[in-house]
Amino acid sequence: MNDKPDAASDVSASAPRTSGLGWEEFSREVVDFFASIKLAMFLFIVLAMTATIGTVIQQGERPETYVQEYGEEAYRWFLRLGFTDVYHTWWFTSLLGLLCVNSLTCFHKRFPSVWRSMRQDKVSVSLAFIQGMKQQTTLSLNQSRDAVAERLVKLFAEKGYRVLAKSDPGEVTVYATKGIMGRVGAHVAHLSATVIVLGGLLGSYYGFQEFGVCLEGQTYHIPRGNFDLRVDKFWIDYHENGSVKSYNSTLTVIDQGTPTTTKTITVNDPLVYKGIWFYQSSYGDAWDQIEAARINIKEKGSDKIIATVDLEWNKEKAVDGLPLKMKMTDFVADFAFNSTEKKVFSKTAEHANPAIRLAVDERSSVQSTPWVFYHYPDLFEIKDSAYQFEFIGYQPKKFTGLQIARNPGINMVWIGCTMLVVGMTLSSLIYHRRLWAKIIPGESGVTLHLGGTTHKSQIDFQKEFRKLTEKINAQAQS
Amino acid sequence: MMRSLFLFDMTFWLYLAALGLYVAYLFAKRPAMQMIPAGHPIEDLEGRDGAWATQLGQVATLVTVFGWVLNTVALTTRAFERMEHSGTFAPWSNQFEAMAYVSWAIILGYVLLEFRYRIKAVGAFVVGIGFIAMGAASLLPYRYQTAEPLVPALNSYWIYIHVSVTLTSYAAFAMAGGLGLMYLFKERAVNRGSQSRFYAAFPDLETIDELGYKAIMLGFPLLAFGIILGAMWANYAWGGYWSWDPKETWSLIVWLIYGAYIHARMTRGWEGHKAAIYAIFGFLMVIFCFWGVNFLLSGLHAYA
Repeated sequence: MNDKPDAASDVSASAPRTSGLGWEEFSREVVDFFASIKLAMFLFIVLAMTATIGTVIQQGERPETYVQEYGEEAYRWFLRLGFTDVYHTWWFTSLLGLLCVNSLTCFHKRFPSVWRSMRQDKVSVSLAFIQGMKQQTTLSLNQSRDAVAERLVKLFAEKGYRVLAKSDPGEVTVYATKGIMGRVGAHVAHLSATVIVLGGLLGSYYGFQEFGVCLEGQTYHIPRGNFDLRVDKFWIDYHENGSVKSYNSTLTVIDQGTPTTTKTITVNDPLVYKGIWFYQSSYGDAWDQIEAARINIKEKGSDKIIATVDLEWNKEKAVDGLPLKMKMTDFVADFAFNSTEKKVFSKTAEHANPAIRLAVDERSSVQSTPWVFYHYPDLFEIKDSAYQFEFIGYQPKKFTGLQIARNPGINMVWIGCTMLVVGMTLSSLIYHRRLWAKIIPGESGVTLHLGGTTHKSQIDFQKEFRKLTEKINAQAQS
Repeated sequence: MMRSLFLFDMTFWLYLAALGLYVAYLFAKRPAMQMIPAGHPIEDLEGRDGAWATQLGQVATLVTVFGWVLNTVALTTRAFERMEHSGTFAPWSNQFEAMAYVSWAIILGYVLLEFRYRIKAVGAFVVGIGFIAMGAASLLPYRYQTAEPLVPALNSYWIYIHVSVTLTSYAAFAMAGGLGLMYLFKERAVNRGSQSRFYAAFPDLETIDELGYKAIMLGFPLLAFGIILGAMWANYAWGGYWSWDPKETWSLIVWLIYGAYIHARMTRGWEGHKAAIYAIFGFLMVIFCFWGVNFLLSGLHAYA
């Protein structure tokens, strides 16, 4: 690399000389280590290898799942090494941090020379320097020194090169350069790594991401934003073939008691209010509420069904022809009973063992609140009642799953991403090339030594160099 | 039932024919090419070849171009079918279409390479990969091949750009992989001092190496752009720009692998042999990211 030798001189010479025992050497060694391409490669490979872990082992599962799949001993090791949440372990984060340090040190060490060569470059070089280049040629031209120099300058300038010429006694040196932006691009891409990582850190420290299960018609307080959110409506659209086309929630933001914004959100189209994003993330059957239930009423004595009623949620209904009023007050999708707190709750969100609680008022004398089960019709019996109730069907209530998130680091991440893409594109499309020509007058005419280097794209440069040489020859003959 | 499926089928057979013709071209070529300096067009030596090798080469190119045109027509037809059935235009909305698009991009890349550098021998490898991609697509079960409506998460304008950019980068890496394989073949022949006519039309090692590097230099920023577009989409659809989903993570892994390659090339000793092996390894990782993740690992991208 052409940019390596002169870089070492930039290294923190201003650092305090504490020991006098080669502090400069030491700091140079440190900078060299952290700026090294070897370290970059090492980090790339190690990050790639460790990142695979999280794709093979499920992340963030419950302990039982791991124990069941891999065994207890393996799970202990997973915990020790952080394999259940690889991407947030101290060592993975350190690798990312090290990558930032690596790219920043590289910038610190190598950018100054790129900057210098953007503004000015070494024009005078020795003849041996030109002859030692990968692309080099020697031409004998039958013209005067100045005419050749003038033509070269014009030719290079036409090709978009920045040209500098220097006239020494006897010989003329012409220097031409193009595509330095390719190198600047690489450095911009290097800086972007740190910008992205900082944006990510900002997001994870000051942002949040929550999941909310909301029911139609309810209002929820959003403490992080200090406003309320009302779910006006939730519905699902279907394709002709019955598959789900989209699911949508109409949300209204209520700030300080007044409705301010209403928006129908759907997947790919969130609502944003005061920096908080509400995403339509999922939907499902609620586990603590249903729309309606169907109940068979049996006469205890004869065990005959004497009526079937449909109850709406929390609405009392008088049964036609019977001295009976009923209301459905509770629902659990997967019945469970906490005996210490004496409370009924839903074990899971699955509708594994659905049960409803009825409030029964019989002849205004017998009042009871039995739980009736969908799968176990004969489990409970109400004393003193003439009837037996069977829970035979229900219409579930859909909940809308909202992802609620704020990420103050996001703009920084996007800035970093833009830098990365722009930098990488520049550095892969544009390549830096430099040409030197020395024109030495001879006995008849002049000898032209032309040499050129590039840091990549050798074939293209070779082609360009050949064409340039041909053109110089052709012009000299005309 | 779907017109595009017939067209995809035709494309497949044309690519097979093109591959056969390129291989035949290699066998027909005379071993006179080692003299050519890197990057020089070969027109001045074309006349010395057996006339029918030249003709074979021309026919191979013609068939490839024709196959590519048919591939384009197939994708366009599929785009219209999609419009009718599922409210999106993007003809890369499932595994099958994505494969067909990748082979389209590979062949386009190859045709551009052939016109620019006038090297036909690359066709035997790169058209081969395009053909395999097309063939693998047609081996998918029928239900993967039709234009089923999209799930809600995919139904967004982001699918146009995120998917196409990412798949184009895969195509560039496929090209690099093909060139890497070619490099190893040629290298073996050179080391053994093989006089086989088969290697006569191969460009010299340095050119193959450099072309492979160029392909990666194209794919690398494209993949970064594709991943970033995916992050922007995720920010709209999933509530976060990065969630370490297996597909996301694997595309990052692939990007890191090529990142190491590009940095390795900056230091000496990572050209030629090592670079060729690495390009093949990288391409295998791309295949895993593209196929393996969809079929072996679960995650947010598992739509197919």
